[in-house]
Amino acid sequence: MLKRLKKILSGFFGRKDQIKLGIYGPPNTGKTTLANRISEEFTGEEMGSVSEVPHETRVVKKKEKIDLEANGKNISMNLLDMPGISTKVDYKEFIEHGIDEDDAKARSKEATKGVVEAIKWLDKVDAVLVVFDSAKDPYTQVNVTILGNLEAKDIPIILVANKTDLDESDPDSIRDAFPQYNFTEISAKEKDNLENLYREIVENV
Amino acid sequence: MAKKKKKKDGVKIEFLSKLRLQEKAFTEKLDMIMDSVKDENILVLEEALDPEEKAKLIEKSMEECDEKFPGIEFSGFDSQNNWIERIIGRITGKPNKNGLLIVGSSDIMEKVQEDKDAISMIAKLE
Repeated sequence: MLKRLKKILSGFFGRKDQIKLGIYGPPNTGKTTLANRISEEFTGEEMGSVSEVPHETRVVKKKEKIDLEANGKNISMNLLDMPGISTKVDYKEFIEHGIDEDDAKARSKEATKGVVEAIKWLDKVDAVLVVFDSAKDPYTQVNVTILGNLEAKDIPIILVANKTDLDESDPDSIRDAFPQYNFTEISAKEKDNLENLYREIVENV
Repeated sequence: MAKKKKKKDGVKIEFLSKLRLQEKAFTEKLDMIMDSVKDENILVLEEALDPEEKAKLIEKSMEECDEKFPGIEFSGFDSQNNWIERIIGRITGKPNKNGLLIVGSSDIMEKVQEDKDAISMIAKLE
């Protein structure tokens, strides 16, 4: 009901010039790959490096003034690629990925700060893409916490079931776990179904 | 000098009743949770946390994370409030906290499966 009221009011008073669109989710769900795809397509530049090692993005990355067009509509936004939110960061996990001990400890420290920064940004974003690895169990406390906070602040949400190129991908499990939100499934890596996501953004943000 | 971890024979599980918890402010509960969890206990609270409180719990565990404490694992059953109940809770200052929270250090607690109405966890004994 509040969302509908907000939409009606925004029709009267006009939209903000630049929407702050945050990309949230746990580590390794493909947030930066998605941010790179969006940024590449509309500005010609990537936003950040991607890695198999968790917590590759440890500070909030911003790309300003992206004019996203889809379905004959457009939206001007600042895209924010958030560090993955997690309840634990163990430097030993980084060592298992071949990082030496000192670097693993430093990475771990930076990662914990990144999580805190991403949580603080929940108060400042205008809309959010919550990115899931569709090959993993979606019902986690991290996802419940992100969605609950956004809902409490009445921030528009689009659930993005990523990694549909994987054999184990099960986007329906995400739709079933959180049926109340706008939903789209993509493979950011394979650039699959991104047009649908862009349509969801211009229609619902 | 860093404290050396004392080897334990098993995992202590503490249950805290709703009655005991309702006397405490959230910041007190947060400190109590972190102290207990860092002492390698598993805590079971007879109340749910709301989303903002869960975010604070994650934030706090990240701030306390170091080489000896890798963070937390938590799970639970949330109070299924609709938006009217949430507004009433805020106005009256008495939100519906019915539910359950289980929290432990990620060193000793591992989630196996979680759903809206069923959870299974493993307590790791080393």
